Amino acid sequence: MTDPMSCREAFDRLDDFLDRELSGEETLQVRAHLEECERCAREFHFEERVLDGVRARLRRIKVPGDLAERIGRAIRRESP
Amino acid sequence: MTANNPPAPHAAFEALLHPLLEPAYRTAYRLTGNSSDSEDLVQDAALLAWKGFGSFEPGTNFRAWFFRILANAFYSKYRKGRREGAAVALTDVPELYLWRRSADLGLADVLDDPAAALLARLDSDKVNAAIAALPEEYRMVAALYFIEDLSYQEIAEMLGVPIGTVRSRLHRARRQLQRALWSLAVEQGVVPGGNEEERTR
Repeated sequence: MTDPMSCREAFDRLDDFLDRELSGEETLQVRAHLEECERCAREFHFEERVLDGVRARLRRIKVPGDLAERIGRAIRRESP
Repeated sequence: MTANNPPAPHAAFEALLHPLLEPAYRTAYRLTGNSSDSEDLVQDAALLAWKGFGSFEPGTNFRAWFFRILANAFYSKYRKGRREGAAVALTDVPELYLWRRSADLGLADVLDDPAAALLARLDSDKVNAAIAALPEEYRMVAALYFIEDLSYQEIAEMLGVPIGTVRSRLHRARRQLQRALWSLAVEQGVVPGGNEEERTR
């Protein structure tokens, strides 16, 4: 059994935790901390929602409908 | 062509490339900030990849291979006289920048999901422009990061840099981005303005 994480230790792992880059054990330790510490849980949730929000905005960037066709034509022009 | 013939090389190539075109375009848009340069960049990368397709090892990661070509195409076309890896000094942005600014205004107390409320009202093109305005090495990592489901390892492979470099650049890029998003929220009237630098200290 490992010692519980402090707020600082959890916070130092925030980015890696949100990106699922922590080891299984560290992930469990962070989760255990978030279950006990409401303030950290709110901060982590906020950061996660910022990333979700940015992704959602970026998904709205429209991709030209003829992109695949145009690139396909260019590739075939270059084909032997 | 009979059923026993292998597909033409360009057909095999296009089958691998096709699902990547949308994420490639959006990545290019985050790098260049405009549609015309993005289309050119994706097309340049596609043609370079096609010409080099003979060197691609079947069964390895085509996505990482292609995005590496895209990144190199971006660097060779848009880099202006600066060597790869040259560090750009970034002003430090305090941790949890958006959270603290939102908390200063009491948004976290009155809204269930203050981050979503803030982001939902920002213009998508301007959010993209905030990424495109990051210094080059941070911009590249951030542009790739916002492709769904890429691990740090995969980004490191795409860029040919150590995973620790990806981690540190990405974490700093996020902080920079948070400050840019807050400025955008002020500019668009989503939140009231004020001397945020003073409050940060």
